[in-house]
Amino acid sequence: MIGNLLSLIRFYFFYPSFFVVIIFPGLLFTGILLLTTIWFERKAAARVQMRVGPYYASKKLGGYLQLIADALKFVFSEVIIPAGVNETLFAIAPILLLLVSILPFAVIPVSVIPQSGSVFSIYYHDFYDPNVGYGVLAGIFTCYNLLLILALESIYPIFVIFLAWVTNNRFAIVGAVRETFLSVSYDALILIATLSVAIEYHTLDLAVIVQKGIPGVIVNPIAAFIFIVGMLIGSSRFPFDIVEAETELVIGPYTEYSGFLFVLTMAGSYVGNFIYSLVFVDLFLGGWYPFSGLPGAAIMTFKAVLLLFFSVFLRSVYGRYRIDQALRGSWKYLFPLSLISLITGTLVGYLWL
Amino acid sequence: MAVKEYKKENPFRLFVDHLQSIGTGIKYMVKPQRITLKYPEESLTLPTGYRGIIRLYKDVCIGCTLCAMICPADAMKMMTYQGKKLPTINYGRCVFCGFCVDICPVDALKETGVHDVAFSNRRDLIFDPEKFNKNFDNPPEDKVVKKVRAVIDEEKGIKYVPES
Amino acid sequence: MEVEVVPVQGELNVGPQHPGSGHMRILVKLNGDIVEDCELDVGYVHRAVEKLGENRNYMHLIPLVERPAILDSIHMNMGYVMAVEKILNVDVPERALYLRSFAAEVNRIASHLYGLGILGIFIGHSTAFMWGFGDREVWLQILEALTGARVTNSYIIPGGVRRDLTPSIIEMTKKAIVYMRKKLKDWEKIFLKNPTIMDRLQNVGVMTREQAIEWGAVGPNLRASGVNFDVRKAEPYAAYSKLDFEIPVYKEGDGYARTLVRFEEMEQSMRILEQIIKDIPEGPILADRFLKQIPPIRMKKWVQGQGRIVLPGYYASFRPPRGEAAARVEASRGELFYYVVSDGSPKPYRLRMITPSYRAIYVFKNLCKGARYADIVSIYGSLDYFPPEADR
Repeated sequence: MIGNLLSLIRFYFFYPSFFVVIIFPGLLFTGILLLTTIWFERKAAARVQMRVGPYYASKKLGGYLQLIADALKFVFSEVIIPAGVNETLFAIAPILLLLVSILPFAVIPVSVIPQSGSVFSIYYHDFYDPNVGYGVLAGIFTCYNLLLILALESIYPIFVIFLAWVTNNRFAIVGAVRETFLSVSYDALILIATLSVAIEYHTLDLAVIVQKGIPGVIVNPIAAFIFIVGMLIGSSRFPFDIVEAETELVIGPYTEYSGFLFVLTMAGSYVGNFIYSLVFVDLFLGGWYPFSGLPGAAIMTFKAVLLLFFSVFLRSVYGRYRIDQALRGSWKYLFPLSLISLITGTLVGYLWL
Repeated sequence: MAVKEYKKENPFRLFVDHLQSIGTGIKYMVKPQRITLKYPEESLTLPTGYRGIIRLYKDVCIGCTLCAMICPADAMKMMTYQGKKLPTINYGRCVFCGFCVDICPVDALKETGVHDVAFSNRRDLIFDPEKFNKNFDNPPEDKVVKKVRAVIDEEKGIKYVPES
Repeated sequence: MEVEVVPVQGELNVGPQHPGSGHMRILVKLNGDIVEDCELDVGYVHRAVEKLGENRNYMHLIPLVERPAILDSIHMNMGYVMAVEKILNVDVPERALYLRSFAAEVNRIASHLYGLGILGIFIGHSTAFMWGFGDREVWLQILEALTGARVTNSYIIPGGVRRDLTPSIIEMTKKAIVYMRKKLKDWEKIFLKNPTIMDRLQNVGVMTREQAIEWGAVGPNLRASGVNFDVRKAEPYAAYSKLDFEIPVYKEGDGYARTLVRFEEMEQSMRILEQIIKDIPEGPILADRFLKQIPPIRMKKWVQGQGRIVLPGYYASFRPPRGEAAARVEASRGELFYYVVSDGSPKPYRLRMITPSYRAIYVFKNLCKGARYADIVSIYGSLDYFPPEADR
């Protein structure tokens, strides 16, 4: 009886639609990762900047719990709703923002399921992908997952603009205008970079790309470079911290937020960055290959975390570009480069893969 | 005198510059050069002649009022205490210029080199001759404070060496 | 098809509570991303130094005049004391002059590092901010050992200086120079040659030679526009006539040139420090006239024993003769001018101080016109404008 119940719980716990989206690398893991990333960002910056960084919140852990202390402080601080805004929209805007940023977890394939020998093997048939010959470990299995991820990610800026519009603050609106300009330019870059890889591998399925066994960074390094830059712009990391430019726009679209709602606005860009990193690992760094099952998911997440750490580390190296410089850079230099990567992709895909 | 001009940026140089900036960042991340003083555990011993909190030697003082006259912030005032003219000081006004110490003709005032003191209300900031007559320092009693001295180092900028 | 461009106009109130405004309000009229007009609302940290100066006696003013720019206090102090000395007609001994130059150059390096740090954080480079303040600490340690305070040194008094150089300070300075030279190379890699910084500063806030002269720019801002003017060369004070140093002058007049001028001035200041350490003559550090008033016992104990001047009672409230004097020094942000009128009483009749940041207000306003909104902070930082100094 109890054994039966346990196996039932086990079945539902490891069911990919639940496990991938909620446990690993979905919601729960992302929550922990968020703490770790911000801790790493602060510690790395501190090391470069002759400081110690967070320390006293938990001396033995090197200040790791500082962020929890900060979050607690934010939770208990007053949420100030400015006069003259629609309270409902003001409150739900950051929640929507976080929601939308997390959505793509549902479709990112994180590993493959072999027919036997893995905890996921029982779901082999439910998530079977005929193009790969394995089951695919993803929240929802679809062979157009690349398309879906990009579509979901491109909604994100709309919600940033919505949030800024709701708060009715001049700095927020200037920030929103900057976000509008940037989102157009980085979305184009990321789309073309992914497209060139998709053409190269003749598929829109990330699992197929990874199972080919040749990392995209070898067959199309230009696309990889452009994707990274697009990722940095898309998740407002330095040197493209233009939307939130502190000394110019206070904190851009999030200026009016305080308390816990402010924490929610901050989380969105980190989650977005993590998702872009996962997609990057799938596309260019060979994803889980040659592992499968849980180790495959772990190795893939590990690579994505490394990339995420690198992109937050850039804070301690760079200043920020001006909006027109970022736009000129992406349209004048990177956009033609991305077209070259498209041609490279087409040629290499036709001749080799 | 030659008017200089910086070289306009070379597009091929750009990539190298990017790498160099990131490289320098990584270099410092791997080998950090920290100068933070962990304050409550470590406390600085200030160099001799540091113009910190001032103390009075009541018995030496001759009540000449020169210190009160030169005080730029009117922090030091003279008062009659037990039949003798003695200075009092209001640390709410003191700017720690040290003029009073330097002008005292009998060395009745001395800089103690203590600067990290805290008071819970403004009345405590006013030191009457009795309070002024003592070394004012209240080190935490229940904790071990490591006394360190800041030393300029060629490699690390500032190094803190334990006070022997 | 014709595209109609609708002008998007609006105003932004940057400050006084804003991460990028400092102690002032910048009223920006925007057209799209272009700043059409920029109104600087200064005076938030006005402390009426000039008026207070009429109600304090001469020694009391030493700590006061250095308050507007505490990070540049040696220069603020020195300019005032030089004007007073002119009224008193005192000859300052050679060693005191060298010591003044020494303290001033240490202070100049510290102040430039502070300015670079602020410039860094304004354009988002947090490492430059922390490095600027961290490396400044090294020089403040020297000032602390020499004068007894990190900032607000009150080191220079009419007739000389208050404390003498000790061998340990010389040792510290030598080490600090070695360290700073090494660190400046890393500064160059991570800040000066950083492509984001170059993009943000080059061709931003360009001030031509004529404009710089017309708008009254001073100091490094003027020299970055190709005008070779430095009070240390034009009208040498302290020991500068005996020291060999160069004035870095750049042609471009943009933010990057201004930053480069500051960087090279730090190097020149270190050269000056090395020369001072080598050449400093022996002798008294206070004018004979005042030294004679110190009683012999105290002279032996303090002045000869510890290299520390004890003030004779004269200083408590002296009455200089009737007269007026002007003095100017090259503070780290540019020419600093003092005008003191004495009517024979212990208090000055009039004290006028024109600070370098005060001159930068008009330059700032003019440079912002036509710049992009994001450039306001980079112009602000590259001018090294320090609001308390301007407001006095």
